[in-house]
Amino acid sequence: MNNDYQAKHSGGAPIGEEQPLLRVQQLSRTYTGAKRPAVDNISFDLERGECLGLVGESGCGKSTLSRCLMRIEDADSGSIWLDGQDIARLNARKLKAYRRRIQIVFQNPSASLNPKLKIADSLIDPYEQLVNGTPLQHFTYTSREAYLRQLLEAVELPAELMNRYPHELSGGQRQRVTIARAIGIEPDVILFDEPTASLDVISQGAVLDLLATLRTSLGLSYLFISHDLAAVHRISQHMMVMREGKIVDRFAASALMSETRHPYTKELISIF
Amino acid sequence: MKSTVSVETSDPHKRKWHKPRAQAIIAILFALFVLTASFYAFVILKHDPSLTDLRGRLLGASAEHPFGTDHLGRDVLTRLLLGGVQTLGYSLLALGVALLIGIPLGIIAGYKRGWVDRLFVRVADGFLAFPDTIVAIVLSGLLGAGIGNLVLAIVIVKWVSYARLVRSIVLSESQKEYILIARTNGLSDARIMRKHLLPHIAGHVLVLASLDLGKIILLISSLSYIGLGAQPPTPEWGAMLNDSRPYFQSRPELMIYPGLAIVCVVLLANMLGDTLRDLFDVKKEVQP
Amino acid sequence: MILSIEELSITAHRRTLVDHVSFAIRAGEFMALVGQSGSGKSLLSQAIGQLLPSNLKATGTIQFEESNLLERTPKEMRSLRGTGISYIFQDYQGAFTPFRSIGAHFDEYQKVHGEKSSTVRKVKAAEALESVGLDASLLRRYPFQLSGGQLQRAAIATSLMLSPRLLIADEATTALDSVSGHRVMELLAAKQKETGCAILFITHDWRHVRRYAHRLSVMQEGKIVESGGKHRILDHPRHEYTRKLIEAAPILGRSLNSGLEDES
Repeated sequence: MNNDYQAKHSGGAPIGEEQPLLRVQQLSRTYTGAKRPAVDNISFDLERGECLGLVGESGCGKSTLSRCLMRIEDADSGSIWLDGQDIARLNARKLKAYRRRIQIVFQNPSASLNPKLKIADSLIDPYEQLVNGTPLQHFTYTSREAYLRQLLEAVELPAELMNRYPHELSGGQRQRVTIARAIGIEPDVILFDEPTASLDVISQGAVLDLLATLRTSLGLSYLFISHDLAAVHRISQHMMVMREGKIVDRFAASALMSETRHPYTKELISIF
Repeated sequence: MKSTVSVETSDPHKRKWHKPRAQAIIAILFALFVLTASFYAFVILKHDPSLTDLRGRLLGASAEHPFGTDHLGRDVLTRLLLGGVQTLGYSLLALGVALLIGIPLGIIAGYKRGWVDRLFVRVADGFLAFPDTIVAIVLSGLLGAGIGNLVLAIVIVKWVSYARLVRSIVLSESQKEYILIARTNGLSDARIMRKHLLPHIAGHVLVLASLDLGKIILLISSLSYIGLGAQPPTPEWGAMLNDSRPYFQSRPELMIYPGLAIVCVVLLANMLGDTLRDLFDVKKEVQP
Repeated sequence: MILSIEELSITAHRRTLVDHVSFAIRAGEFMALVGQSGSGKSLLSQAIGQLLPSNLKATGTIQFEESNLLERTPKEMRSLRGTGISYIFQDYQGAFTPFRSIGAHFDEYQKVHGEKSSTVRKVKAAEALESVGLDASLLRRYPFQLSGGQLQRAAIATSLMLSPRLLIADEATTALDSVSGHRVMELLAAKQKETGCAILFITHDWRHVRRYAHRLSVMQEGKIVESGGKHRILDHPRHEYTRKLIEAAPILGRSLNSGLEDES
C-alpha cells in the first residue's frame, strides 16, 4: 500500500520504455583494510524471466556482490533497483516489503538449514514472515502441511521429509530443500551463490535441471553465480565474467565460444 | 535427540552402552534407598525435625531412631532427609535463576555483537574476577548470613559462566548462513533468537548445569558449615556437620552421615552430567 | 607394478564398505579412481597407508613394492610414509595447524624424517615452496593468511618433499574453485614428470581424469565396476553406471570425449 506507492513514485528511478526487473548501477564495496574494492563499480540488468550467469574464481568478489544485493551487507555506493525502487539505501522496515521479491540460495546446504529444526520449520519461515496473506499464484496455502507438501513436490522430494532433520537428508536433498524455501513465496528474483559447488556430480546435474524447469514453470528470474563455467553456461541466457571485483566480459550464452571473448574468459574456457 | 552414528566414527556397541547402564543402576538403587528411608521416616516414625529432647541426646541407632539422635536429641534420619531437600532445593533455585539471567544475556550479547557484546564481556570479566566464596562471605557480611543471601551470591557468581557459554555458541552459530537467510526472510531479532538460536543452546546448557549442580551443592554445604548459609534450627547438611563437630570423638557417625550424603549427591549429580553429555553428544554433531 | 591391490575388502561391524576390490598401479603412472561420494574410494585410499579408523577392518593384500602393507607394523608404516607413500587430502586446512607458521610445519616435517641441520632444513623448505610456485616469504605466514589454492600447493610441497614413490591425492581439488583446482592439477602433473612418482588420484571430476589420467577405475558402492585405459572408458564406457557418471559431468558442449582426436 504505502510502500507500493513509494516504490512506484519515489523519484530517481530511471524512466524508460521497458524497465529491467533488477538493475544494479555502479555498485561498489571495499572492506576496511583491503587493498582493492571487493566489488568495483559493477552495473548490470537482469530482465524478467531470464537467467543471468556470473562466473568468477574464488576471491573475485562474487559472494560480496550477492551479499550486497541481499542487503546482508551494505554497499558503499551505487544503487540496486528492484522493480522501480532503489533498495540499496532502504531502511530495514521499508526493506521488508522487498524481501518478498528476492530470495537467495547459498553454496552449502548444510549451513543454510538450521540443524536443530525440522525441515518443515525451516521451510515455513519466508511464508510466515513475508507473504502476509496475499494469495500466491502457483502454490496455495490452505494449511501449513498442504503448502509444504506442494513445495517439496515442486523440488521432487517426498513430502515425508518435512518431519525430518537436515542431517537425515543427503546433500542433494538438502539443497533441494533450500531451493524449495526460496521458491515458496514466488519471488521475482532468486540469487544462486554456488548452488551446486558442494554437491557430487550426479546431484549437480539433477539440481541444474530442476532449476531450469522451475524457472520456466514459475516464471522466475535467476542471477546464477558460480566458478563452474560449464554449469553457468548450461543454465544461463546471458553471462558475465568477474575478476578482481570488476566485470571483465559480458555476452549472450550462445556466444561463449566466440573469438571476441576477453582473454580471461578464454582462459576459463580452456580449463573446462 | 536424534543422531546418526556413522560407521566410520565409532563402534556403537562398544562405547555407548555400558557406562550409562551402570550409572543408571547406581542412580536407581540410590533413589530406592532414599525413598524407603523417607517412607520409614515420614510415614511411620513422623519425628519433628526441630523438636529438642535433652533426655534423648546422642542416642545410638535403634528402630525408633535408625541413625540415632544428635546433640539436641533430634532424629538424625529425619534431619538428613529434610536437609537433602533444603540443599538440593536451594541449589536448583540458584541454578535456575542463574540460567534465567545467563541465557538471555548470552544470546543477546552473541547475536547483537558490537558495543552490546563489548559491554557484556567487560561486565562478565568483572564478575569472574571474584571467587565464589569471597562473594558469598562479603554478601553475608553486608546483608547478614542466611540461605537467601547465599543463593543470591551463587547466582551472582554463576550466571556469568552460562552467559559466556551461550554467547560463544551464538557467536559461532549466528555466522552461519541459515541465520543470514532468516534475516533476509524478515524474521525479527527476537524471533531469530527464539526459533533459530535457542535450540542450539539447550543441550550444552543442560550438560554444564548438571555438572555445576554438584559444585553448587558443595558450595552451599561448605558455606553453611562455616555458618554463612542455613541458620539453625533449619536442617542442612553443612550446618549439621558443623553442629556435630564437638562430638566427633564420641559420635563420629553424626559427621559421617551428612558428609556421606554430600559425597553421594555430588557424585550422582556429576554422573547425571556425564550421562547427559553422552546423550546430547555435544561434540558429535555429524555433518556428513 | 609399484602397488597392486588384490581382493581388498573393508568392513565395519558386519557392513561391507569396500567389496573385494583389485587393481594395480605401475611406477610413474597417473591412475584415477572415480566415483560418487560414499562409493568407498576414500576408504580404499586410506587403507593403503593404514590410515583407516580403528573400527574398520581391511582384508586382502596391498602389495607395495616388495611387501604386503596390511601385514606391516605401525612403526614400519611410519617409516614408509613420506618416502614411500605420501598423501594429499581434500581438506587442505586440516593439513596445517592454524597457530603455527607454514615454515614451522616444513621444519618439523624434515626434523621427524631425520634432517638434523636447521640451516639445511630452512633452505630445503624454501626450495620446496618455490618448486610449487609459491614465494619463499610465505614460510613466515600462518595458514589463515593463505588462500585455499596456496595452502593446497603448500600441502603438495610437503608431500613431495621426501620424493615419495607413490602419491595418493584424495579429492585434492574438490574444495578448490575450478581455476585454483586447475592450477593445482597442472602442478601435480608437472611434478610427476619431474620426479617420476606414481599418482593415485581419487576424484569425481571428469575434467581432471580426461586431462591427466593414464588409466582409471570407476567405483560404485564399494565395488570397482569398470577399469581400463582412459580413452577406452571415456569414449566407449561399457558399464551403465560409468555412462551415467559421464553424462552427469558438467562439461561445455555436448559430450565428454577423451581427447584422443586432439592428441593424434
